[in-house]
Amino acid sequence: MQNAANHLAANAVTYGSSAIVALHSGAALPSQFLTFMLGDDPYAVGILHIKEIIEYGALATVPMMPPCVRGVINLRGAVVPVMDLSARFERGPSAIGKRSCIVIVEVDGGDGKQVLGMLVDAVNAVVEIAAGDIEPAPSFGTRIRPDFIAGIGKCNGKFVILLDIGRVLSNEEIVEMARGTVAGYHA
Amino acid sequence: MNLDEALQTFITESRELLEDMENALLNVDIAGEQGEAINAIFRAAHTIKGSAGLFSLDHIVAFTHVVESLLDEVRDGRVTLNDEMIVLLLSCCDYLSGMTDALAAGQLEADPDTAPEGEMLLQQLRRHMAGGSAEHAAPAEAPLAVHAEPGVERIDQDRGDSDYWHISLRFGRGVLQNGMDPIAFLRYLAKLGKIVGIATVPDALPAADDMDAELCYLGFEIAFDSTADREAIAGVFEFVQDDCEIRIIPPHSKVSHYVDLIRALPEQAARLGEILVRCGSVTAHELEGALHQQAHPANPQDDTPPQQLGSILVGAGNVPPVVVEAALAKQKQVSEQKAQESRSIRVDSDKLDRLIDLVGELIIAGARANMIGQHIQNTELQECTSTLSGLVEEVRDAALELRMVKIGATFNRFQRVVHDVARELGKDIGLIVDGEDAELDKTVVEKIGDPLMHLVRNAMDHGIEPGDVRVAAGKPAKGMIKLNAFHESGSIVIEVSDDGGGLRKEKILAKAVERGLVDPERKLSDSEIYNLIFEAGFSTAEKITNLSGRGVGMDVVKRNITALRGSVDVSSKEGAGTTVTVRLPLTLAIIDGFLVQVGGSVFVIPLDMIEECIEYATEPGQDYCNLRGQVLPFVRLRSLFRIDGAATRRESIVVLKLGNQRAGLVVDTLLGEFQTVIKPLSPMFSEVKCISGSTILGSGEVALILDVAALMHTVSGKGTVAALAA
Repeated sequence: MQNAANHLAANAVTYGSSAIVALHSGAALPSQFLTFMLGDDPYAVGILHIKEIIEYGALATVPMMPPCVRGVINLRGAVVPVMDLSARFERGPSAIGKRSCIVIVEVDGGDGKQVLGMLVDAVNAVVEIAAGDIEPAPSFGTRIRPDFIAGIGKCNGKFVILLDIGRVLSNEEIVEMARGTVAGYHA
Repeated sequence: MNLDEALQTFITESRELLEDMENALLNVDIAGEQGEAINAIFRAAHTIKGSAGLFSLDHIVAFTHVVESLLDEVRDGRVTLNDEMIVLLLSCCDYLSGMTDALAAGQLEADPDTAPEGEMLLQQLRRHMAGGSAEHAAPAEAPLAVHAEPGVERIDQDRGDSDYWHISLRFGRGVLQNGMDPIAFLRYLAKLGKIVGIATVPDALPAADDMDAELCYLGFEIAFDSTADREAIAGVFEFVQDDCEIRIIPPHSKVSHYVDLIRALPEQAARLGEILVRCGSVTAHELEGALHQQAHPANPQDDTPPQQLGSILVGAGNVPPVVVEAALAKQKQVSEQKAQESRSIRVDSDKLDRLIDLVGELIIAGARANMIGQHIQNTELQECTSTLSGLVEEVRDAALELRMVKIGATFNRFQRVVHDVARELGKDIGLIVDGEDAELDKTVVEKIGDPLMHLVRNAMDHGIEPGDVRVAAGKPAKGMIKLNAFHESGSIVIEVSDDGGGLRKEKILAKAVERGLVDPERKLSDSEIYNLIFEAGFSTAEKITNLSGRGVGMDVVKRNITALRGSVDVSSKEGAGTTVTVRLPLTLAIIDGFLVQVGGSVFVIPLDMIEECIEYATEPGQDYCNLRGQVLPFVRLRSLFRIDGAATRRESIVVLKLGNQRAGLVVDTLLGEFQTVIKPLSPMFSEVKCISGSTILGSGEVALILDVAALMHTVSGKGTVAALAA
């Protein structure tokens, strides 16, 4: 947990982390989050990262990529990669359903801002979670990697995991995974 | 005229001139034939000085002046150019570039940090001058160092008493309209010496009613005391020499020259005489005698057209005809160059990029219109869209053409690199450049400089052996690096070759095994072994030099070239040299593609890589087929990319060609040609070597572009198509 918190403090742009900073400084800073579903579990991402939400549509598969990279889409002339969050959390690929959506987010990549799509099973709502209602992530007990979690927010009496999407969508890690996949193809 | 804009032009021009100067300096070195090259160097220095003067950039003027003075002596044959001087002059070039860069950064004054360097260079320059003595060296604070000796032939007999130059000026009418201020030239002239006497000649001035205030009607007669030579004085007026009449009479000239001058000018002789006397160039007594002589015209060339400064000078006997011819040839060359410049315009490259982007969008929109036309089966619409796509294709080609530049300029930069590095290494190495006219996209040119630099330095450091080793091997002591460029099937091929020792296979292999890069059991072909040098952390040089040998470099070269969708290959012959072949796409933006489909995925293959498409056929149980009697190994794209689904009943083979390799690619369906606007893929996909980018189809779907070179590399590395490796 300590490591994750350190990382978050360093990555001040991530929304969740600013909430944590606010938490540490004692200020009650309400923040807005978009909540969505992966399977039966709710997750949330700071709203300032989100550009738009689009319907799941035509998607071109890129060969030799790990399963968490679903493919690329045409977003009004720009080619944008789409990540399968469920596969990223090692819970198997998302099944495409009626409510499947692609959430377009902007994250800080290695060289400037990067636009990515996240495939989610359903989008719920935009909720306001006060900094005081955000707790640091536990060091164990979550089903996803602790470093993916920016914090756990309380919303309507329920817990929701606030994702650190800078980590979840980390370019380096995906490139590393792709290297393994490509090597697998060649073996 | 906007001064900022003019200053920008000055900076750009200066940079170009400095580049010319550098090239010329290096050419002198190689050819040993000096005349033309020295003229070129002198011209460059001179023009920079002249332009800098216009902007009152005194520090540049002062420095260039000394350079120019030395060059002038070289040109006159008083000083011979040697290797040391070339190095010195190259440093001066660098120093001037530094000043130009500072200027571009907005620094109009001399930079105190670099001043000591400039002073050192100046001192060295002065040391090389004919006098070689301190008395000619101007003190540091003087803006202009004076010239050693005016390079003018003097005629003892019949000479006038005047110790001054006489300059007769008639400014062209359009001088003011061209943005030149006559007074500025006179002020600048005063920097070269002292204006002893000046008389304004207002005779051409019309009556006040007819006068156009924007025209210049004035002329000047000037007596000028200076130690500068004719070239320097004439240089003051370089910018107006085209439309002005300028006559310069050196000190101690025959009185008859003044008479010739008087006769050549449009004003009344008596009146001019008065003016000349007034400004102190001739005495009244001398003039009287001369005017008396006028009755017996001794000079047959009197009817020479007055505009021809050159012929007047020859007539006046103070310049040998050869010199004038050279000067006239130079003038002609300059004006031709000017004519050429006026036919081309400078465009901000951002604007070009924007144009290319728009053309890209246009192509996608056109493809969509085309598809809809086919879909609704309206013949008129189809006809219209087909005309449209034809035009769009032409627009695309024209737009891409705009960005094409010759590779020559990049190559020529290496003259300097080779020269410097060779000195540093203590080797005698020359550079041969070939195929300078090959054109490629500007962005590619910009990005290829560094990798080429690595390759050239590497070839010089590791490739070329020391002189004694070369002689012992029966080779000429002087090593040669060759840069060559040519077009081949839609790409440009750049070769960097040396005639050095070549790569040593055993050594590379041993090193690679030692570093754990290859399995000692594995059998590698020669080309595979040579290409090991591009692996990260690989260097066979025992000695680490400043230049190379740290094992970074070749892998960086490879990475940079791959990033440009290019490939690099090395071939070598032990004892005879090494050739590195870089293959690059001509453009980065738009290509002609060919669409193929496998399962639900659509892929684009660059059209220039495709030789033909044939129906799927195979030798039983093998992954090769019989292509008109030749073995054609093939890859199934479906299994390579692990695309789900069964093959269709009528598969096709796309025959790909890369260099001298040929391979087939089995696909489900051929969809036809498609103008492909390349959209970069997220860096996330950098590990997928077989895909070089993506594009958007008319339907709005995304298609991936296959990187044929990487694809072939992948499959041959796998051993699926072992025959390809050969």
